[in-house]
Amino acid sequence: MGHTIAEKILARVSGRPGLRAGDELLARPDFVLAYELRGYTDVYFRDMKSFGADTVRDPKRFAIFIDHRVPSKTPEDEKLHVDTRAWCTEHGVPLFDRVGIGHQVAAEAGYAVPGSFSVHFDGHISQLGAFGALAMGLRSDVFEAFVRDGVSLRVPDSVLVRLHGRPGPGVMARDIFHHLLYRHGSRFAAFRVLEYGGAGLDALSVEGLQVMTGLAMFAGAVTAIVPPGSGRAGAQPLPPALVQVPAMHPDPDASYAACIDVDLAEVVPMVVLPPSPANAEPLEQHVGLPVDAGYLGSCASGRLEDLHAAAAILRGRKLAPGFSLHVVPTSQAIMAAAAADGTLGVLIEAGAFVSSPSCDFCSGNIATLAPGQKAVSTGTLNVPGRMGATDADIYLCSAATLAASALEGRLCDPRRYLAQAAGEFA
Amino acid sequence: MTLPAISGRVAYIFPDDYDVDQIVGVKNIKIQDVDQLAELALEKLGPAFRERVRPGDVLVAGANFGYGHPHFPAMKAMRKLGIRAVLAESFFPVYWRGEISNGFPQIACAGITVLARPGDAIEIDFAACRVRLPALGRELSFPPYARSELAMLEAGGFRAWLKQSIAAEQQEKHR
Repeated sequence: MGHTIAEKILARVSGRPGLRAGDELLARPDFVLAYELRGYTDVYFRDMKSFGADTVRDPKRFAIFIDHRVPSKTPEDEKLHVDTRAWCTEHGVPLFDRVGIGHQVAAEAGYAVPGSFSVHFDGHISQLGAFGALAMGLRSDVFEAFVRDGVSLRVPDSVLVRLHGRPGPGVMARDIFHHLLYRHGSRFAAFRVLEYGGAGLDALSVEGLQVMTGLAMFAGAVTAIVPPGSGRAGAQPLPPALVQVPAMHPDPDASYAACIDVDLAEVVPMVVLPPSPANAEPLEQHVGLPVDAGYLGSCASGRLEDLHAAAAILRGRKLAPGFSLHVVPTSQAIMAAAAADGTLGVLIEAGAFVSSPSCDFCSGNIATLAPGQKAVSTGTLNVPGRMGATDADIYLCSAATLAASALEGRLCDPRRYLAQAAGEFA
Repeated sequence: MTLPAISGRVAYIFPDDYDVDQIVGVKNIKIQDVDQLAELALEKLGPAFRERVRPGDVLVAGANFGYGHPHFPAMKAMRKLGIRAVLAESFFPVYWRGEISNGFPQIACAGITVLARPGDAIEIDFAACRVRLPALGRELSFPPYARSELAMLEAGGFRAWLKQSIAAEQQEKHR
């Protein structure tokens, strides 16, 4: 019986070849990642000593990201940043200060090494899986990695999602993930690793796979992973790897807890209705619902592919009167690329409010919704209060659906505008 | 290695995919005062819960309990009210990890919502991994915890466990 990718990576980092799902181990992460957050990093920094650790071992394995409370709105916010900068300097830990949302910056900076194992407190770090890296969010338990040379884990089972065919026009990776929730529910991968496979992978971009791995927690998964491959659409060269480890592929006879087949051609634009990320439904059932505001960004969506999809629809058009659209590229590198290729100009011309990368739009610290407002969002979550007032409604969708809805001020199928755009350029 | 048995009553039954932040209300998620959180939970879950709940009780829930973006105040409130454990058909992993880390027993007990009713007496035997409903004469089993999970629960939470675990490691080295 063969092994899954997760089993192989955890076998390497625990020095226990041949281990299987269910085995318990102390795994030594290749990378320990965390964004600065009150109650998390400040507590780790403060308490390490009382757990017998004066400093972290191998500080270059660690990375801290300042992406929350950016830019500072209060002196207390900025003081936290000041303290974080000082700690990183003192301990020789790399700091990524306001250069983008950490989960994306980690990939850009070389932490998404195929075959590597990373831990964080936040589960959206699973998106390093798009590169063949195993990355797990451990909540407060990540502190173990700050004070000893490993994290205690039970090796999870894996669920294999085999992708076939290719998605139609106007269908984005976000729709594919929401389609999975719609068809298979909010817990089909509970406590398991969501492993994507199949020839359909090569019809998707690495950016799209970052979306589909980054949202894995909403299927109950502890993380997600994709076997590394060179055939991915629009594949960009991998950033320089910060460690040399063998890339891993699943064995053909690996044992999975379940296998799911998805025909990408069947996927249609989707929307996730409030108040739960489980409420995925085909968009066509909700077309026409009035919306007041939009947020294009987050660690899930807000990359070049998303900005390009929005620009293709918004080019030469204006937002619906009174509609407020916030566009927040996921990283400075993405923002610079979108500025250079004219995408940001198109979005600004259409009436979008474009801001530098920050996590704060996704959680309602900036661009806060008022009671009764309805927003379309490419953020991670639509639970009540996520973007401000607890009785504001959040509809999650792809960047393309968001852009089309911003034009009309109501939920709108993006394929209409894409067909027009194609006609215009023909 | 095991936890002491729990003998209590079912204080409340939650539906599938329940977002625990609703217990105190999302608006109140930043409140730190546990007495205030406990009062909010009593208010939000209604008069039947307020009248029924007493120290030593447990909660029962459907599948995927804790789904969404779970914060800690809900279960801080429940512990303040004397709730000793949560039994659910299944859990959302993010919630599970957080509460096990807080040293709060969570029990993945398939079939529990079919049998249990509010007010029912319930006995949890951690050594045998069994749940008993004496009034019905029925028993259900649950899967054993991972070693580190059980050790965290025994120690009273992640941080206490980590301290013990590191101390044991040091002793081992010096032997």
